[in-house]
Amino acid sequence: MRTNFSTSDKIFDYVNYALLTLLMIVTLYPFLNTLAISFNDAKDSIRGGIYLWPREWSLDNYRYVLSEKSIYNATVISILRTVIGTVVTVFCSAMVAYAISRQDFVLRKFVTVAFILTMYINGGLIPNFLLIRDLNLLDSFWVYILPGIIGVFNLIIIRSFIDGLPESILESARIDGAGDYRTFFSIVLPLCVPVLATVALFSGVFQWNSWFDVFLYNSSTIELSTLQYELQKILQNSNASMTQKTAGDAFAGAMQNQGQVTPTAVRATMTIVASVPIIMVYPFLQKYFVKGMMVGGVKG
Amino acid sequence: MEKVEVAETVHYPKKSPNKFLQFLKQCGKQHALLVMTIPFLIWLFIFKYLPIWGWTIAFQNYRPSKSFAEQEWVGFQHFAFLFEDERFLRVLRNTLAMSGINLVLGFVTAIALALLLNEVRVVVFKRVVQTISYLPHFISWVVAAGIVQQTLSPDGIINELLLRFGLIKEDILFLGIGEYFWGIFGAAHVWKDVGWNTIVYLAAMTMIDPAQYEAAEIDGAGRIQRMWHITLPGIKSVIVVLLIMNIGYLLESGFEPQYLLGNGMNVDYSENIDIFVLKYGIAQGNFSLSIAAGMFKTVVSFILLFAANNIAKRLGEARLY
Amino acid sequence: MKRKTPVYVAAMLVLVLALVITGCSGNNSGGTTTNNNSSTTTPSNSEGGSDEKPLEKVTFTYFNGAGAAKDINTNETTIGKILEDQTGVNFKIENLVGDLNTKIGTMTASRKYPDVLIPDAAIDEVLGAEGFIDLTDLIEEHGPNIKKAFGNDLERLKTEDGKLYYLPMSAQVGEFIPDPNIGQGAFWVQRRVLKEAGYPEIKTIDQYFQLVRDYVKNHPEEDLTGFIALTHDWRFFATTNPPMHLAGYPNDGEVIVDMNTHEAKVYAANEDTKRYLKLLNELNAEGLFDKSSFIDNYDQYLAKLTSGKVVGFFDYGWQIGNAQNVLTDAAKADPSQDDFVYFPLPVTFDGQKDQYLDPPSFVKNRGIGITISAKDPVRIVQYFDNLLKEENQILRGWGIEGETFEIDENGRYYRTAEQIAKIDESFRESFGFKYYDWNWPIYATSSTLSNGNAAAPGVQPEVFQMSLTEADKTILNAYGAQTYAEMFANPDERPWFPAWGIPKEQGSPEQLYETKKTEITRKYFPKLVLEDPSKFESNWEEYLSEFNKLDTAGYEAFVTAEVKKLVEEAK
Repeated sequence: MRTNFSTSDKIFDYVNYALLTLLMIVTLYPFLNTLAISFNDAKDSIRGGIYLWPREWSLDNYRYVLSEKSIYNATVISILRTVIGTVVTVFCSAMVAYAISRQDFVLRKFVTVAFILTMYINGGLIPNFLLIRDLNLLDSFWVYILPGIIGVFNLIIIRSFIDGLPESILESARIDGAGDYRTFFSIVLPLCVPVLATVALFSGVFQWNSWFDVFLYNSSTIELSTLQYELQKILQNSNASMTQKTAGDAFAGAMQNQGQVTPTAVRATMTIVASVPIIMVYPFLQKYFVKGMMVGGVKG
Repeated sequence: MEKVEVAETVHYPKKSPNKFLQFLKQCGKQHALLVMTIPFLIWLFIFKYLPIWGWTIAFQNYRPSKSFAEQEWVGFQHFAFLFEDERFLRVLRNTLAMSGINLVLGFVTAIALALLLNEVRVVVFKRVVQTISYLPHFISWVVAAGIVQQTLSPDGIINELLLRFGLIKEDILFLGIGEYFWGIFGAAHVWKDVGWNTIVYLAAMTMIDPAQYEAAEIDGAGRIQRMWHITLPGIKSVIVVLLIMNIGYLLESGFEPQYLLGNGMNVDYSENIDIFVLKYGIAQGNFSLSIAAGMFKTVVSFILLFAANNIAKRLGEARLY
Repeated sequence: MKRKTPVYVAAMLVLVLALVITGCSGNNSGGTTTNNNSSTTTPSNSEGGSDEKPLEKVTFTYFNGAGAAKDINTNETTIGKILEDQTGVNFKIENLVGDLNTKIGTMTASRKYPDVLIPDAAIDEVLGAEGFIDLTDLIEEHGPNIKKAFGNDLERLKTEDGKLYYLPMSAQVGEFIPDPNIGQGAFWVQRRVLKEAGYPEIKTIDQYFQLVRDYVKNHPEEDLTGFIALTHDWRFFATTNPPMHLAGYPNDGEVIVDMNTHEAKVYAANEDTKRYLKLLNELNAEGLFDKSSFIDNYDQYLAKLTSGKVVGFFDYGWQIGNAQNVLTDAAKADPSQDDFVYFPLPVTFDGQKDQYLDPPSFVKNRGIGITISAKDPVRIVQYFDNLLKEENQILRGWGIEGETFEIDENGRYYRTAEQIAKIDESFRESFGFKYYDWNWPIYATSSTLSNGNAAAPGVQPEVFQMSLTEADKTILNAYGAQTYAEMFANPDERPWFPAWGIPKEQGSPEQLYETKKTEITRKYFPKLVLEDPSKFESNWEEYLSEFNKLDTAGYEAFVTAEVKKLVEEAK
């Protein structure tokens, strides 16, 4: 399309590519480093000095982590909570966002403020726990979904996108006699795909990474455990000899306890195991952020 | 370009003498919107407002095992413990400084990166940069802090480079110098989250009408001018809304990086409210102190939020509510 | 139709929301998930059908707040299966992941406990919540072996109104056998240093530092670090504790307890600490101390120990196990690497008798209890009692004869090289050694069985000797010792040991004191050590003035009173 590059444009490009390449190097390093440690012999890793490449190749860390049978069921639960949780929160947040983007909505201000305030209020851990208990949500899958039906952050982001939509589109829909439902479902939702993809990514990653709610509410129900929580357990297990600082008595056991894995190696391995699946989702969502995708359909 | 303001000037319900009747009429007309929100208001009330009874805990010597009636009431004792501690001001200063740095650096770098990415014409490169830059977000702080410590240690790469270029004469204990801590903290945050934070701006940029760029090009605007006059205004409302929300979070600077990178030598700069509460509250089984601190933060958040929102309103920018 | 869809969807959503919120109760107790608190009871097929009434199989839940192992059912392990065959009891173990106080808080707030609970450091909260049942009568009736094993300890754990809410987790039975390895504190030095110096006797801290100094000086080409310290996070005590040991006391935590008057004194700001820090300060001025000691994390510390570049350090053996293992493994593969393995030395300030080894300990603020939620406490107590039978202690310590240990013609227990090789981490898990190692009422590691064998294989001389390499024997011989422990003086009797185990109420002034003390020392120790020696005195004054703001006298009075109580009880 653009054929005539000016000199300053070219300079800009060079600087830009250089900067971005530098950024890539800096941000790729931690991941490569973690990868290298995860594939390095755990005992050898104690010596330090592993940077981009394993020194003594070993699959033992993965063997150790993946031999834990509980993680397979936990992965299924993680996927379920991620998918269901994300779909529910994106849909519900979008719906409320649409309502509060309507300037004439009678409850607009009330609803907006009621939601925003909760971002900064927290009743505390124990009251929340008691609430979940009283709702009979302990040891149930729904405790992963229900408390997060609407993410206020997501809600606000979606609303500001809807606010940014050309008024003319909504106006013409209204003139066509479309009610709120139809406007929402057939006009607003499709137009908001980029932001919905963004919000889906945010809440998907959040759901995938959560383990604190498992710890609080579902820790004694192994069937509902999630991948992250099981990985935390494995990490803890590898830590065994370290945490038993209770008198010398534990020591004789502790010495024998020190197997082939170390917390550092397990942590690196679990980082890879837990993050690769969710990272792989990214390219699928990414296309929605690519500029210009939807604007063609708008024809403002 | 003026979308935001446009959105603000649409139909307000007309004032009428019988307001209530008017209100009901409106409700009837907007039954669809009510159906879309009221269930969630109920949800909101149950899940977010009901647990606020927990604030009473701040005024008790709370023991989880006791019923509400059996708790020992101590008035403002926990608040006093918090505010009267000689470290409180320092801890508050650190909190504000670190989240302030985070706020400014976080916004500037994420927006800058989004702008730069937006200018990349090679789609594959753009995608690769974007994907890679968000990888550190998936590394836990424990691992990330380990890498930071390694990088900044006397035999780490930073010292090595500085020595090689003759910029310093002997190794610097970066993490042992309190004054450096905020900078290290801010840089670490940017490094870890810049790619992640960029996503929302990139999404916002997809909403900009390409016709605007074409028009600008015809007018002979350069790349930087286009960025400044088209892209940036195009995402302004998102920026402003995010900014207001984050200003409300100024007392929340997190605790993991501070805790993990903190040590006895930089404690005067690394310890923030959350760490203080962790040490004297949760670690001692004192739930009341953490609730008291939480209440304090909430109050401050409300004030900041209100102020920020009002300023935005005065400036005619997008608002949070 | 298309127009109706949205209404339908919205209505559905409301319905689902309402259903889910109200209906979850039904869904839950409907039983798709196992209800964790109820004990699932299934009749056992009692094939034996002997004179004893058939034991119903039962599963109890067991939460371990000190936990660091996999969540399992005990009957999935060999040991646990045998115990289940004996008692019909299985335990479903859940280990803590995350914050202890939070987890215990949710339990006490909802009064929903597992059947058996180890609250670790949060025991106070559970006691305050009256979450444990009184075990006195149960033990009287069903616990002859419990009584035999713990003896007087049970009396000491009783509350003022004579109730016993939890059992301690280790019983000293028979003669006390010290651990031949050094799990406790010591000043460590690379073996090559001792070799080069001709295996001198090192008794005082000055001799020790001179040794380090000389070695570094004689090997300038190696770029050696003389001495490092571990300071990371809660492990900081490895840097604050040495003055206590140098003064000739075992690890009582924050205090030194006088052997005669039983007065507890905080040493963090006394002359001992000052003397030690001054020594470190001098080392630092000579360039022998690793400056990054105060910023390194634990991983960095271990990496330095395994690098072969660090000549000496103070630490507790259990903290350096991983590093020492790397070094010994390397030495096994290549004997010349033995030079870099660390050797423990019993160093004191002026050569007085050292007390590095732990005396028999009685940790009063830890234990295992049966909660008010437990359905059948009798069965649990019976299980504990059965576990404490000597034959079962042999089972959980040594395993099964012919499989995991052998008995020679003199009745001594030992393990063959194959058995030792076989018993790796995964075997320990599947057999169950790992799960019965700790966190149950069991014999202490230092116990002796009635037949004279050690209760724990690790301390049995026959087993220990097999673990030694030629190089190990050489250096031990040079010092005329059979075991590493023999390098150290025998521990004196201290009925209060460890003083850090004295229970302190959560949020009490004593707990606050300890937190604040740690804070101040963390802040000032780096200054005292790293700054120029000329500033040492003024920095020390500054530290003292900060430290004196704390109510040290009150803390000492509290500990002293508790120590005296413990001494009385032990009589």
